[in-house]
Formats: sequence, C-alpha cells, structure tokens
Amino acid sequence: MTATAVAPVPDTAPAPDIAPTPTLHPVAEAIASGTIPGRVWFYSNYHCNLACTYCFTESSPTVAKRAMDPEQILRPAAEASELGYTDFGITGGEPFLLPYMVDLLKDLSALGPTIVISNGTVFGPRRFTRATELAGHDVAIQISLDAAEPDLNDEMRREENFNKVVDLVPRLVDAGVKVRIATTVEDGRLNADQHNELCALHRSWGITDDDHIVHPVIHRGRAAEEDMGTHLAFHEFPAELTFSVDGACWGPFGPSFTDGKLDTDLLITRTLEPVSTAASALLRLADGRPQGADTQLGIR
Amino acid sequence: MPLIDLIDASSSPLLLRDLYTDGDPGPLVGALAQVPELCEATLPFVGAALGPSAVSFRHKEIAILRTSANLACRFCVDAHTVVAFESGLTGREVRALRECPDPTDDVFTDPVEAALIHWVDAVSTGTGAIDPVTSAEARQQLGDHRLVELTVTVGATILLNRLATGLQLPTLDETLTALAMRGYESYNPGTHVSIGVAS
Repeated sequence: MTATAVAPVPDTAPAPDIAPTPTLHPVAEAIASGTIPGRVWFYSNYHCNLACTYCFTESSPTVAKRAMDPEQILRPAAEASELGYTDFGITGGEPFLLPYMVDLLKDLSALGPTIVISNGTVFGPRRFTRATELAGHDVAIQISLDAAEPDLNDEMRREENFNKVVDLVPRLVDAGVKVRIATTVEDGRLNADQHNELCALHRSWGITDDDHIVHPVIHRGRAAEEDMGTHLAFHEFPAELTFSVDGACWGPFGPSFTDGKLDTDLLITRTLEPVSTAASALLRLADGRPQGADTQLGIR
Repeated sequence: MPLIDLIDASSSPLLLRDLYTDGDPGPLVGALAQVPELCEATLPFVGAALGPSAVSFRHKEIAILRTSANLACRFCVDAHTVVAFESGLTGREVRALRECPDPTDDVFTDPVEAALIHWVDAVSTGTGAIDPVTSAEARQQLGDHRLVELTVTVGATILLNRLATGLQLPTLDETLTALAMRGYESYNPGTHVSIGVAS
C-alpha cells in the first residue's frame, strides 16, 4: 500500500451538491420529448346505434359489444399515467351506450385531460342530464358532424343525425360541457364553401376552430369494403397507444374490423397489462419511423 | 384446415413485419403471429433450442424427429423428415425414428445415439422421474451440457408439436413435395406405437 496522504473527512461533511438524477422510464422520456404522443385511447365498446358507411370498426347495432368494463380501462390508465402518459381518449362504437360511461369519464379525467368520441345521437333527456355532470371535469365530448347541410351530413350516417347533433351541441355547451367537433371527409366531398358553412355553424355554438378536427376517411374496415378513404402506411398514423379488448394497437385507427375480424396489421401486442409491455413495443416501432411522419396528413 | 386464422403477409402485425418481408413465413409463424409479443419471444427461443448449437445437426434432428413421432405430430414429423435427410440421416434411420417402438434395437446401435434416443423417449413420453438406468446412460454418453440442451430441444419440440397438432396446422405444399421425392407421404400418426416403450 502506498502512503498517500488523505485529508481527514469530518463526520459532519456536507452531502455532495449533485443530487442523483431520477431515472425516467424510456416511455416517459419519449413522451416528454415528443417522440410519441402522450394520449392513450381505449375502445370502450364496438356497438353503435348507427352504421356509418365509412366506419372502420364496422360498428352497428347488431355487432358484438366487445366492451371494456371500467376497471379494464381505469387500471391500465392509472399505470399509463405513472409511465408518463398525460391524456386519455375513449372511443367506440358509441361510448355513451354504456351505462357507466359518465362515471368512467369523471374517474379518467382525474388522471388527465380526456376526450370521448360520440355520434351525439343517443342523448335523450336522461343521458343528457347525466352528460351535464361532466361540466367542471376535464372531459371534452368530441361529436361527429360532417357537414352543415342535413342531407350531406346524413348521407353516410343516418337520417336525422344532423338534427340531433345541432339540437344537442348548444345545450351541452350551455350546460358547461366542453365540446369538440370532428368532421370526417372523403376526398373531395367537402368543398371550401361547405367547409366554411360548417365552421360558421360550430363557431355560432362557441366552439373555436381549435376544437374542430377534420380528418379523412381512412381506408380500413367498412370504408375499405366500400372502396372509400385514404390509404395510409402505419407510420402515417399517430403513434397513440390504443387499447381494445383485442389488444394494443398503433393509433386509434388500429383496431379496425373487416368481415367481423380484427385487422391485425396495426396490432402491437395482445397484452393489455402491464401497459409497459405494449408501450415499450410501440416506442421501439416509433423509433424506427421517419420523424414527423404522422403529421403529413394532418390527422393528429 | 387450421383451427384458427393464420396471419398472412397482408395483415402481419407491426412487430413481426420483418418475418414477412420474403413472403409467407409458414403456418407456425402465421399462428404465433396472433400474439405478436409472444411470437417475438418464442421464435428466438425455438431457434436456439432447435437450431445449430454444440449438439450436432444429426443429433438434434434425431431428437426432434423422434419427439415429434412420439407426440404423433403430423406437421412436425413431415417437416423434420425432410430436415432429417438434410442432416445426413439415412432412409432406414428416418423410418426407424418415425415408426419403430425401439429404434436402438438394430438401427441406432452407436452407444451415444442409443443413449440419446432412450433419453428422448423417456422425456417425451413419460411422466415423473426418468428411470435411473436411462438417466445414468444419458449422462455418461452425452455429458451434462448436451443432456441439458437435448432436454430443452425435446421440450421445445413438444411445444411445437402440441401447437401444430392442437391448432391443426397444415403441412406446407413444398414439404409434401420434398417428402414425395423421398417416397414419403404425409405422416399418419397411426404408424407409430412407441409410447411407453422407452427402456
């Protein structure tokens, strides 16, 4: 041993200034850096009172419900929140056909801002009253409205769809519920005038352009059977982790159905919990895609 | 007809796309692809258990073909009859592994290969502990690391046997063609009666 002089360390030596850096889960880092989006989607159910021509989940009143019960959503949502996910989304099917939807949305919004997609046609007096309980919660109901003209809107949806939506939306807004409008556009169907009329309508309800989402019909599910919609490669879809009873998919357009069977091309894992299994796999896939690829068609 | 839908190239899950770049990877992958994360973990394991390793190609194929015949797996016997020939096994040896209650009677007389087959028969057809005579013979002739590896090979083969049989996976056309060129038809499990004969 060499006789190197070592300065004595007093018992009361202060702790080093450098605090240990907390280690973030790679998924949390990726969300924080914007590599992957922070929203997780859940397909609460697949049945619907409508059977829209372009529906990529083949939803209708007669399909199997394929519903996730509240715990199947809240438990993974809590884990996703711990992993670094910040926002949540519920879609279907028509989520408000489920009796527990309002309570589920309230619980989910305690974990982060929540969007629920609805066709806006199932709100009779009782459901409407329950929906008004969402006022004051960080929940936005995103209601589908494809045109400002009843015939044009209802053509691919159902008769009276337009009237029900224009009756519902202002009442929800008046009740303090946050509402967004989603417009699904088949290539060339909505011209500039029609688009402007639609925007004038949602603005008249107090819904800003920021809360109006326009996206194309996606060539999947029933839309593909009808030879409609835009063909997209997987990296052009947003890399939003999306859960259904059938597994975890890449993006909310992932769990589409053709001939009653799940399309597996955007399937990531069958494992729903732990969420880290699917989230880590999604991150691996996202790391391999061109940067910004999912913004090219403005479907975020 | 398979019991389940086999995932083809047009619907290959994202994690598995590399497996489909050269076309249809076959029924086993097509079935496992129903659960991408499981497929992703299983294939490397199966590759390590059944692929090139410290155990010779010939001995691996003896273990795989014999196990598959013991488990009466048409799909795997068909596939590994073809591979067994590629590993250098003769027609007489292949037929013995597929059909004989005890191929060590007069075909596999080499002490190492006899011990291997006795071990494979005991592991793949028995329940509970392996009898001490078979165990001692296997350890003496094969050595510890080969014994471990061959046991894993048998286990992995059983996994594939039951997967293929349970899900009724079809033998590939190219396998049937290769079998026909050797004078074989698709395996009929009724031709093998070795269950319980391991000494």
